Order: sequence, then C-alpha cells, then structure tokens
Amino acid sequence: MNDKPEAASEVSASGPSTSGLGWEEFSREVVDFFASIKLAMFLFIVLAMTATIGTVIQQGERPETYVQEYGEDAYRWFLRLGFTDVYHTWWFTSLLGLLCVNSLTCFHKRFPSVWRSMRQDKVGVSLAFIQGMKQQTTLSLNQSKEAVAERLVRLFAEKGYRVLAKSDPGEVTVYATKGIMGRVGAHVAHLSATVIVLGGLLGSYYGFQEFGVCLEGQTYHIPRGNFDLRVDKFWIDYHENGSVKSYNSTLTVIDQGTPTATKTITVNDPLVYKGIWFYQSSYGDAWDQIEAARINVKEKGGDKIVATVDLEWNKEKAVDGLPLKMKMTDFVADFAFNSTEKKVFSKTAEHANPAIRLAVDERSAVQSTPWVFYHYPDLFEIKDSAYQFEFIGYQPKKFTGLQIARNPGITMVWIGCTMLVVGMTLSSLIYHRRLWAKIVPSEFGATLHLGGTTHKSQIDFQKEFRKFTEKINAQAPS
Amino acid sequence: MMRSLFLFDMTFWLYLAALGLYVAYLFAKRPAMQMAPAGHPLENIEERDGAWATQLGQVATLVTVFGWVLNTLALTTRAFERMEHSGTFAPWSNQFEAMAYVSWAIILGYVMLEFRYKIKAVGAFVVGIGFIAMGAASLLPYRYQTAEPLVPALNSYWIYIHVSITLTSYAAFAMAGGLGLMYLFKERAVNRGSQSRFYAAFPDLETIDELGYKAIMLGFPLLAFGIILGAMWANYAWGGYWSWDPKETWSLIVWLIYGAYIHARMTRGWEGHKAAIYAIFGFLMVIFCFWGVNFLLSGLHAYA
Repeated sequence: MNDKPEAASEVSASGPSTSGLGWEEFSREVVDFFASIKLAMFLFIVLAMTATIGTVIQQGERPETYVQEYGEDAYRWFLRLGFTDVYHTWWFTSLLGLLCVNSLTCFHKRFPSVWRSMRQDKVGVSLAFIQGMKQQTTLSLNQSKEAVAERLVRLFAEKGYRVLAKSDPGEVTVYATKGIMGRVGAHVAHLSATVIVLGGLLGSYYGFQEFGVCLEGQTYHIPRGNFDLRVDKFWIDYHENGSVKSYNSTLTVIDQGTPTATKTITVNDPLVYKGIWFYQSSYGDAWDQIEAARINVKEKGGDKIVATVDLEWNKEKAVDGLPLKMKMTDFVADFAFNSTEKKVFSKTAEHANPAIRLAVDERSAVQSTPWVFYHYPDLFEIKDSAYQFEFIGYQPKKFTGLQIARNPGITMVWIGCTMLVVGMTLSSLIYHRRLWAKIVPSEFGATLHLGGTTHKSQIDFQKEFRKFTEKINAQAPS
Repeated sequence: MMRSLFLFDMTFWLYLAALGLYVAYLFAKRPAMQMAPAGHPLENIEERDGAWATQLGQVATLVTVFGWVLNTLALTTRAFERMEHSGTFAPWSNQFEAMAYVSWAIILGYVMLEFRYKIKAVGAFVVGIGFIAMGAASLLPYRYQTAEPLVPALNSYWIYIHVSITLTSYAAFAMAGGLGLMYLFKERAVNRGSQSRFYAAFPDLETIDELGYKAIMLGFPLLAFGIILGAMWANYAWGGYWSWDPKETWSLIVWLIYGAYIHARMTRGWEGHKAAIYAIFGFLMVIFCFWGVNFLLSGLHAYA
C-alpha cells in the first residue's frame, strides 16, 4: 500500500523521456503495470466473480448430471471453459499467479522506500511543503525557538514518536514519525499471498488425498507410507435424544511388522504418522459383510417354521433339534450377477437388495450354497433339501470411512497465513504518521509552523493533531 | 423450556425501542441557531442539541446499553443451556445463535463508537441493522432456535474461535454498510441544500466516510483470521484445509470484495460516494454469505 504523494513524485521524477522505447523505460513500464493498485483491484474483483461460478454450478459431478440439469450444449461449453472444475482451470490458476506477481512487484517497487524511511527520514523541508499539508497550523509563541523546539521534541516523544531535529541558522526543523510498522505490515501481507500459493502448489504436487472404507479387525496396507494400518475398533456414541454425538475408530499403525502407534481417532482428532494423516471422515453400513443374520427354517411344502437361527458372520452353527448345520459365507447389499464372469457382486453401496449366501449341511448328505434374499423370500428352491430358508433380518456391519492425506505444503501455508494475519492487523491498526515543524524567531518569541500527514485514519490523526496544537498553546506561558 | 429465548425476545424489543428513540432523536427539535456547526459535531454536540433532543439521545443510549446487557445475558444463559444439552459452551452454534451474536457485536461496536466519537445519529442506522439481525433470528422456526446437540464435526474447540471471529467481522461489515447508507442520505441532503434538522444531527460526510473505512479496516483482517482458523479447523476435521465448499468460497469472495475496497481507498476518487455504495454492496454480499449460502447452496457447511 503506497503513499499517494510519494507515488506521484516517483512518477514525475522518473527522469527525462528518452527517445524511443529503451529497455529502462520498458522495464519501468512493466514494473509500474504489475505493481499497480488498479491491477490488484481488477484481480480481486475478477477472482471474486469467477469464484462464484463454482458455488452456483456443482463441481466435479458426473456428465449426466450436468446434461440433465443444463442441457447438452451448455455442458459442452462448461467443459470448454472448465466450469465443472473452475478452481483448477488454467485461467483461474493464472489469475492467482498474477495476484502473486502483482503483490511481489508491489513489494519490489515500494518496500525500498519504506525501508529507507525506517532508517532515515527527510528532516529538512520547505515552509511551503508544511503549509501544503492537510493538517497544518501556524502558532505564535512567546518563547525562544530553542525552547519551543525542546518542548515539541518532548511532546512528540511522549506520544511515542521518533523525533529528529535539525538546527539551521535562523530556524529549527523538527520531524516526528510514528507507525511505520503499519506500512511494513501491508508489505508482509503482500508477500504472504505468494507464500500461501506456493504452499498450495507444493501440496497439490507432492501431497495426496484418499478415502478408505475400512472394517473393524482388518489390516490395510498404506503403500504411500509403506506401513500397515489395523482398525481395532469402531463405534458410535449417541446423545440422549438419539442423535449421533461422535464416531470413533481405534487405529494401530504397524510398521515393519511391529505395532508402533495406537490412537482412537474421532472427527476433529486425526492420527498422524510419518506425515500421513488419518481422519475419521464418515461411517456407514458395509456392503459386503454383516455382523449377524436371522434365518427362518421352514419345512418344504408347509408353512410351519421349524427353527429360527441367528447366524454370525462366517461361523458354522448347528440348528437345535434338526440335523442341520448352517453358515453364512457371503453378503451383498445390492444383489447383482455378472453372467459372463458368473460372479455375484453388489451393484451399489446401498442396501437395496440384500442377500446372503448360506452354506447348508443337511445330515452331511445334502450340501448346498444357496443365496437367500431379504426382499424375495420365495425366489429359489434348493433341490433335494427338506427345508426352505428365509432371510428375515440382519445386523449390518459398520464400516469406518477414513480420509487419508498427506500435505507437505501445509507448513508453508500456515506460515503464509500467519504473515497475512499479522501483516493485515499491523496495517489496519497502525497508521503511519509524519509531522514536521518549522520554528522561526519572531518579534514576540517564535512562530511555529506545524504540519502533518498520514496515509489513512484521517479523523484520528486530525484529533491527535488538534491535541498537539492545544498542548503547545496551553504550555506556552503567556 | 429455554430461558434464554425469553431473554432474546426482550433484547429484540429493547433494540426496537432503541431504534425508535434514535430515529426520534434525529427528528427532535433543536435550536435553529445551532445548526450551522453540524459539519463539526465532535465537540459541541451538547450545546447544539435542544433539551428534547439531548434527553432523547440519552434515553436512546441507555436503552441500547440495557438491550446489549440483556443480549449478553441471553447469550450467557444460552451458553449454560448448551453446556447442559450439547457439551459445548459456544452460544453461536446454529443460525439463530449466530444472528443473536452478530447483533450483539454490532451493538457493542456501535456503543463503542458512540462513546468514542460522541455521534448519536449513527444509531438510527447501525442499531437498526442490529435490530434487523435480531428480528431475523427470531423469525427462524422454533426448531432452529433451540440448543440442539451439535453434529460431531462441529463439536470441537475450534467453534469457539473460528465462528466468533468470523461473525465479528460480519458485524464490522454490517456497521460499514449502515454507515454507507447514512453517507448516501447525508450526501443527498447536502446536494439538495436541505435545511431539515433531520440531517443536521448527522456528522459531516468526511467523518461518516472515514468511520465506514475504519469499520472495514477492522472487519477485513478479522475475516481473514476467521477464514484461516476455518482452514485450520477443516484441516483437522475434513482432511484438507481448503475444499472449495460454497461457504468457504463465499467467505473468500467477500474477503476479495473488501480487498478490492481496501486497495481502492489507496487511490484517488474512491472515497465518499463510491466507497459508500461499495460498502453497502459488500454488506449485501456478507448477508448472502451468511444467510443465502446456508439456505440456497449445499455444502459441507450446511448444518442448519
């Protein structure tokens, strides 16, 4: 954020115009263009406008969804313009890149002058300069110019100003300044944009994000980290009113065959191992396994239920009073059959058409492995069997949905964010003020010309300036 | 069942009364002689006001402060109710509470402004917005107003800081929007050469403009901080600090809009009229980000 008068003087002091388009002039034009506030405003507005697209049009949906909602022509345009994934299009990324170039060029162009004024400042100014300021006053005081100068220095210093004085024959010039950090802050904020974007790039190139559906008791290999993860336990806690309070998974990391870390993760509390984060992301009913099933055993031909059996997953059970052993070996949530491969599979993850496969052993003579359906009890009949099986209920097995991610850019992003917040806070709370006073002897004592300038917070500065003049007047013994 | 709801109700009525008093204050009779220094109201506000106006103004301030105290009590009571029912403390955990908190912050900001700059006319606009926020909250269906337990994603200590800071920035932008509106009113009166005493109580254009700018200067870093805290929270809860969820994106859009404003203020010609219109536009965007997104767009933030 620049100071208006300075920027103006920089432009006018840019030297005599050379004939033709010299390299110097060209590069200055380029710097001026990329450092300009106008470009910053343009980028802010264009980014804001294009970012809305992605909130109105659903992002990353399947083509059918777009065609259905907007029509085929519109969808073709969407693809051409990248509207189905706005935030990763080349043009959106370029806009972000331009914003970085903009803020970096601004830093390059304007920070040196801020840096200079931190170290040394222009003390000697002309009277016309002071009188041309927005806040300026002229006071007649009945003290010697040295006494007035000394009081001014003390007054400004008391208010936390850095004061420099210069004594010339016939006049004393006092210069006071405060709040340069406000401008430094703005530049820190400018640099942060690039840091954040670089952190984001780093993350998107070297990071990954995956989703895993895991079952209790299973061990999964994490190839990216070259270690294994075992899901020891998964459970859900409920509030009194029945709504879900939290869901939790106890995870154990097995590195090189030995368990090295165990943690119960829950939403908002992930496990971190070797830079890989495991988040409790969701849960649901597994589509290829259940905890238990309830089966009615009926005699063929009759409607009489001769036994009701609760089967546990993959455990053989002998039915009391009947020469029958049963086992549940498979489950699909949404039954489908691939006729070419002769394979049963679950069409979706929804429990739309649940079915289990039984392994039935009758008197060790008849052995069969029928599929029985929850919704269609009488679909198939088992040859040679004396019984009919009805799948009347089951207890689903919950899976735990884990988000697995690594983001090596994250530290950089947080550094950038810290810079942004600190820089913005400094720049909005502290404002840079400069005061100049010229004291010349007069017939009564001394005449004081006081002028001040700030780049923002005019009313506060006006107030402060008025207080200064009041104090100077009041302190003058008349 | 909820004691806090009664207090929220009382707050609503008190803010309404305060708004009425501030408007009445603007219409109150002041000695005609004293109208001239309206451009410099900072010091001699007491002399300028007629007895009526002074008293009205004082009562308005009192009612506002009292309303704010009740608002505070309501939020505190709600915090305890939340503690009992849902294991968190934050009294800004749903749309209703968030609205009540925003109006609390707006009124607090206004009272601070009044005490610091001694300008009461602003009350007619800013207390008005605080009142509308409170009113809109009470119009929400009852099921949105109660302290239902939080969904697991929200049940985190991040909710204390992320939500409150973001909402505070909204309040600052609301204030800037109110001041922008006030600027346009005053400007119209000035351009017409209006002698109406209604406008005489307004501070001069430059002051209104500068106050609006200050409000945005406060809201802008707060919003950035709020968004960043949200990103940190998302990094713990959702497995990524930025996922372009509509709410996230809209808060960024709002931030970009104010970013353009802040930079525009550095160039000439962007004070006053344009800035006022822009501040109102920005505030409308904030309203959309706060309300519109929740009800119109789906996404990870759709908790209501």
